[in-house]
Amino acid sequence: MSRTVRFAARLAGGIALAAVLAGPLASGASAQTNLSNAQILQGLTMTTADEPTITAQILKQMAQTAVANNIALPLDKSEIAKQLDQLAQITVQIQFSLNSAIIKPESYATIGSIADALHHPILWGYRFLVVGNTDTTGNRKDNLELSQRRADAVMEALVTLYKVDPARLEAVGLGQEALQTPNDPTNPVNRRVQIFNIGKE
Amino acid sequence: MKRHLIGLAALLTIGASGAASAQTMSYAEAGALIAKSCGPSIEKYCSKLNIGSGQVQQCLQDNKANVPAQCFTDYTAVVASIQKRVAAQHGAYKICEADIRQFCKGVKPGDANILDCLLASVKVVNAACKQVIADAGWQ
Repeated sequence: MSRTVRFAARLAGGIALAAVLAGPLASGASAQTNLSNAQILQGLTMTTADEPTITAQILKQMAQTAVANNIALPLDKSEIAKQLDQLAQITVQIQFSLNSAIIKPESYATIGSIADALHHPILWGYRFLVVGNTDTTGNRKDNLELSQRRADAVMEALVTLYKVDPARLEAVGLGQEALQTPNDPTNPVNRRVQIFNIGKE
Repeated sequence: MKRHLIGLAALLTIGASGAASAQTMSYAEAGALIAKSCGPSIEKYCSKLNIGSGQVQQCLQDNKANVPAQCFTDYTAVVASIQKRVAAQHGAYKICEADIRQFCKGVKPGDANILDCLLASVKVVNAACKQVIADAGWQ
């Protein structure tokens, strides 16, 4: 583990790590649930000295505006997805009951591994967005609402069960507005939870 | 006598490798244990409750007759372990303060630099400090 820490610390220096991680992770659902502790720490370690300007409120507003005006989903990455791509991040698959925000027991450990990273000193003082996404199956507005409740549920588990300080977290549901595979919008790989590092408290 | 020798050998091994073994489980292990021991009961009797709601334990209790005893044992162990881990994280600096002053002079705090230093100095830092780092889940 000590090697992991030093590795993560080194990575904090430069490289666009988010891009490095996003590549392999996009390939399959199974890989996303099996992130090692080292991968999670690396993924969430800040990669630039610039303060990220994205806030939960801005993201929510962008998604709500897109849904309210029924703006067509772009075939390349949406504006929201592009903005998020710049942040240090990890993507995981959390299993929920059908059409509900109840987290299935098989995903308790995945959320726990996120907590393991957030409790590590290398990430102390940083704040994170917990972002919920759906694919395009179903109603766009319902998807937005359901993804918010799911993001809330993940954040709640991190806070109450795993004792992460709530002041470090904000939950955002983006529905189908930030697809991972815009060319294949019903692909279940789009149903995912992302954790983004949005900088120091 | 033989047992003492084995105990001594074990101690020496720990001393040589420099690491302490954690008396707490990781948060991922904690989640996996609840899922394994209580998951089926949660899905059966508490399917409307989220694990973060703080009401799942009570719900399981309400259905005690139908829930395996192992679930209660493990859930209690998880809660205790998480408490201990959080306490270790909060108490680590104080417990390691003397070691930090002795072995990590001039190390700039932040980015886990002090932890890195302590882990690099694991052969010389005191046992209590090593233990609290292990219990915090940081080694």
